[in-house]
Amino acid sequence: MQNFKVILLICSLLTGLNLPAQENMKPIPAGSYKPFIKGLTEKVAVEAFLLDTVQVTNQDFLEFVKANEQWSPDKIKALFADSAYLIHWPKNDWQNESKTANQEPVVNVSWFAANAYCKWKNKRLPSLHEWEFAALALPMNSLDSNELTQINHSWYSRKNSTRQPIGSVYENQYGIWDMFGLVWEWVYDFNSVVSSNDSRNKEEIASGFFCGSASLNASDASDYVSFIRYSYRGSLKGNYTTRKLGFRCAKSIEEN
Amino acid sequence: MKTKNFLNIIFILLLVSIISCNQKSERTIVDPDEEVKGVVHAELTDAPLVPPRIPNKSNTKVIVNLEIIEKEMRLADGVDYTFWTFGGSVPGKFIRVRQGDLVEFHLHNHPDNLLPHNIDLHAVTGPGGGAEASLIAPGKSAQFSFRALNQGLYVYHCATAPVGMHIANGMYGLILVEPLEGLPPVDHEFYVMQSEFYTSGNYGDRGHQDFDMQKAFDERPDYVVMNGSVGANTGENAMMVQVGETVRLFLGNGGPNLVSSFHAIGEIFDKVYVEGGTLINHDVQTTLIPAGGSAIVEFKCEVPGTLHLVDHSIFRAFNKGAIAQIKVVGDENHQVFTGLEKEEVYLPEGTAIQKISKKTEPSDAVMIELSHEERMEAGEKLYKQNCLACHMDHGKGIPGTFPPLVNSDFLQARADKGIGIVLEGLQGEITVNGEKYNNIMPAVSLSDDQVASILTYIHNNFDNGGGLVKAADVKAWREQK
Repeated sequence: MQNFKVILLICSLLTGLNLPAQENMKPIPAGSYKPFIKGLTEKVAVEAFLLDTVQVTNQDFLEFVKANEQWSPDKIKALFADSAYLIHWPKNDWQNESKTANQEPVVNVSWFAANAYCKWKNKRLPSLHEWEFAALALPMNSLDSNELTQINHSWYSRKNSTRQPIGSVYENQYGIWDMFGLVWEWVYDFNSVVSSNDSRNKEEIASGFFCGSASLNASDASDYVSFIRYSYRGSLKGNYTTRKLGFRCAKSIEEN
Repeated sequence: MKTKNFLNIIFILLLVSIISCNQKSERTIVDPDEEVKGVVHAELTDAPLVPPRIPNKSNTKVIVNLEIIEKEMRLADGVDYTFWTFGGSVPGKFIRVRQGDLVEFHLHNHPDNLLPHNIDLHAVTGPGGGAEASLIAPGKSAQFSFRALNQGLYVYHCATAPVGMHIANGMYGLILVEPLEGLPPVDHEFYVMQSEFYTSGNYGDRGHQDFDMQKAFDERPDYVVMNGSVGANTGENAMMVQVGETVRLFLGNGGPNLVSSFHAIGEIFDKVYVEGGTLINHDVQTTLIPAGGSAIVEFKCEVPGTLHLVDHSIFRAFNKGAIAQIKVVGDENHQVFTGLEKEEVYLPEGTAIQKISKKTEPSDAVMIELSHEERMEAGEKLYKQNCLACHMDHGKGIPGTFPPLVNSDFLQARADKGIGIVLEGLQGEITVNGEKYNNIMPAVSLSDDQVASILTYIHNNFDNGGGLVKAADVKAWREQK
């Protein structure tokens, strides 16, 4: 049934049916991809969905916090974010738009806060598979599959002390900006790594990313860029906030 | 018959138990249930320094705080690299504890870092050497404790996937678990760790270099270095000792790929703690240090001079940077070494000029024209690499053997500014500043650009009338030939 739906969607794409567009979001067509983690021998199908073209900015997030006091730096509960939550905002003056609101991606936000923001926007966080699938797209006008690896490597090996605004690295062929090279991004199931029908528990998977076992669990041991991304996610917990971790939202496409 | 067999078995069992008892008595076994008394904070040092021995009795709680910092630093002159470090330098901080100590380890991942990290200490008895207990996102700290059960010199490294990349970027160091009674006293202890770097450009290519994954897979490093960068402990930064003093080197090999054939040019290791363990070998010239392994060597410096610590896979030493130096100062001891007693020219191969390399600059290479200042800077380095051995640092050569370059009438009289000498070599009798020389200079294989820099340096630094030699001049000279 699921497969049938995917085929239907692909067919509808081929026949020129346009997916609904939304402001600052672009449709990601249905498809499938081979995830980085072994255990899933078959490709994973991803249904069509909408994805924010850029990350959520400090300006966007300030608007959210002002409208939802419980997510402000002063009121946030420790359960939902650690003590570094929004630490880059001026401590007693974060309401001051001239100091806080800018077009850089918001960082130092927990998964809980990111999730709440997306809900407030009537959206949701993208799933890991959705994010990974959308991120596979090459830069606009590029045919070189190495280009994504290069973007990642130059990001890892250069220390960007100055923060950059959204939309400053590259636009991919879906019209989505900066999937790599600007900040890391939260996904809805960041700590699941494999789909729920896999019997292995999360503990085992997480510990599979050290030492020798790291090379056993990956489908392509030479894919260092994916190794880095998955081990990064593996180091996170829902209330963690860090200086290089932001997010963007997604939305399912309603069927009528 | 049966009884005889039985007796034989008893005898063998007895023998085995005696042998195993003897083996045990050589090593100290720690009882982890023994009570831990007192607390000290470990003093950590950057290479080549080693922290002093912890003075307390053993079974102390030792608190170690180690901060992971990703930072851009010098890999070689004019070459920068983004290192991932344990404690802000490569190799990471040296940690010194004693057998039986309880080590309370605090690992901190600096909030400005991009990546998660952890630590695998080979001195730990436990899953992943602590790696599983210490995976931390940027801006987080992890704490775990371990009992130092085995003595020895151990490597620690980051074990976050992709492990190879974390190690290749500088994440390794040494932890010494000193035996209960302490290592015997010596006059100096130093910390030297070898490792390789895989860069997007070739050895010496200027500017910021990225990590090159393919070269790492192929185990084809551009740099093999001692203590984290080319020349980290050479020249002004060499380790210093006096004649007659004893030296202990704590040696490590971070890898990630190569095995080190560790050798000290001009010294014999009196004692080697093989692979950093309890087996002691004597009178060793070269000792192997596995990737992710160590060795401790000891020797006495009998005569003055400079000891070159190298990987005797020797191209790594002279072409990729794997050299550190110990300068031994003091009085000569001619009973041990006389120095040069006599020198004369010996040319069994006849008078044909020997070329250092037949490789010449491809004619279609991109021409680089540098400013006068850039030529001088590049020229100085090239001079030191190619000319200094004969013409000496001061450019005065060696009277009667190698002609001077300082205010050289011979050089100044040449219309080609000396280009032909560098490219083709020179042989036969010449007169320089009134003195006769009859020797052979081999042709030096350098690019047009390099020849231009070297000659600009010689014309300006050695008082030959100054001026700028351009790469185009060298190219023109080649084409005219």
